[in-house]
Amino acid sequence: MTVIVLIAAPRGLRGHVTRWLLEVAAGIFVGTVSKRVRDYIWEITRARIGDGQAVMIEPAATEQDCAFRTAGRERWKPTDFDGLTLLARPRDPHEP
Amino acid sequence: MAEPWWKAGPQDLHRIEDRISSLYVERCHIDRDDNAVVLVNKYETVHVPAAYLAVLLIGPGTRITHAAVALLGDSGTALCWVGERGVRMYAAGLGSSRGSKLITRQAWLVTRPKERVEVARQMYGMRFPDEDPSGLTTKQMFGREGTRVRRLYTWHAERTGVPWTSRQYVKGDAFAAGDDINRLLSAANSALYGICHAVITGIGASPALGFIHTGSAVSFVLDIADLYKADISIPIAFDLAARGLCSERDARVAVRDAVVEEQLLSKIVSNVKSLLLQDSEAENEDRNEIWGDGDQTVDGGRNWGDWDVFDEFHLDILGQTGHAAEVGES
Repeated sequence: MTVIVLIAAPRGLRGHVTRWLLEVAAGIFVGTVSKRVRDYIWEITRARIGDGQAVMIEPAATEQDCAFRTAGRERWKPTDFDGLTLLARPRDPHEP
Repeated sequence: MAEPWWKAGPQDLHRIEDRISSLYVERCHIDRDDNAVVLVNKYETVHVPAAYLAVLLIGPGTRITHAAVALLGDSGTALCWVGERGVRMYAAGLGSSRGSKLITRQAWLVTRPKERVEVARQMYGMRFPDEDPSGLTTKQMFGREGTRVRRLYTWHAERTGVPWTSRQYVKGDAFAAGDDINRLLSAANSALYGICHAVITGIGASPALGFIHTGSAVSFVLDIADLYKADISIPIAFDLAARGLCSERDARVAVRDAVVEEQLLSKIVSNVKSLLLQDSEAENEDRNEIWGDGDQTVDGGRNWGDWDVFDEFHLDILGQTGHAAEVGES
């Protein structure tokens, strides 16, 4: 199962992704697609996301069973902890 | 539902064999933020899927708040305070176990010489299925084990072309002695110890009560880890050395991959259970019982005595002034 989340994406990109995946709520796409198709969709998304944000969650043969790809602005960064991927959120510099 | 609402009951948690094996963290602040366990440094916050983790390995340069520990405890996540690179184990916190059956049975087995040797034989049989250890004395068994392990090192050295002389290590300082291959073996073994330790405490057995090793607080961890060295840490160390990957991080990552591939977590759980329990006892119920006469147990969670005795006792408990006033009135 692959999930793509698009935030503030160009309308053309959102429509394009629905050709492969089901949009279950605004900007949330779900479906089962091959590695080749995932790579293709991601390449298009990465190139066209512009000032929006994109996240793809895809199956992977890891202990977590899944992997993440992110693109766009001000995103949380997938961070490797010895093979386990967690997401690092930037901190507000004004916070104590 | 449990109160407060964010508390998880034992049935709401992943079983230990379904969890991610371990997360190693260092140089950060571990805190609780909006009911989540978070790692915080100057620039970033990382949310930890606590109830999805078997063990959190806490390295140097970390501080942890009471609130975070409470949340990890509620998630059934074992905590281990470890040295740099995870090679030393300083202290451990609560695991996910809520029952005492395994540890009681383990104590029974380990304190009876005949039963103890029988478990050691079973372990030997698991490592070398082609051999029948039933007639062997303890001394013969360990002699053969030594020979077989030495042959294993030589075989892997020939397979990978890594030069091999002998196993060298300094007790308590895995990286102080030996060549690259010995350091890699130490690193891979210590990762394996961490995982075994987490599982053993996680399912409620004792890490200290060993059947082959004894005298250490982690004797049973060493016993159990020995079951998997031939399949996991030894081949990994030789493969990495042959490819020139010699950092301890390489060993940790490779061990994690092997843990997934071999489904090691569930294997450890079932092996520990099959060593300690008879088949009929293998269910893992959460019990709350108290000892009755002889070998019998009776329900816990109810008062079997005379309340009057306890009322006076309650009056002395620190911080129970409100309760004491109530008792005084009744």
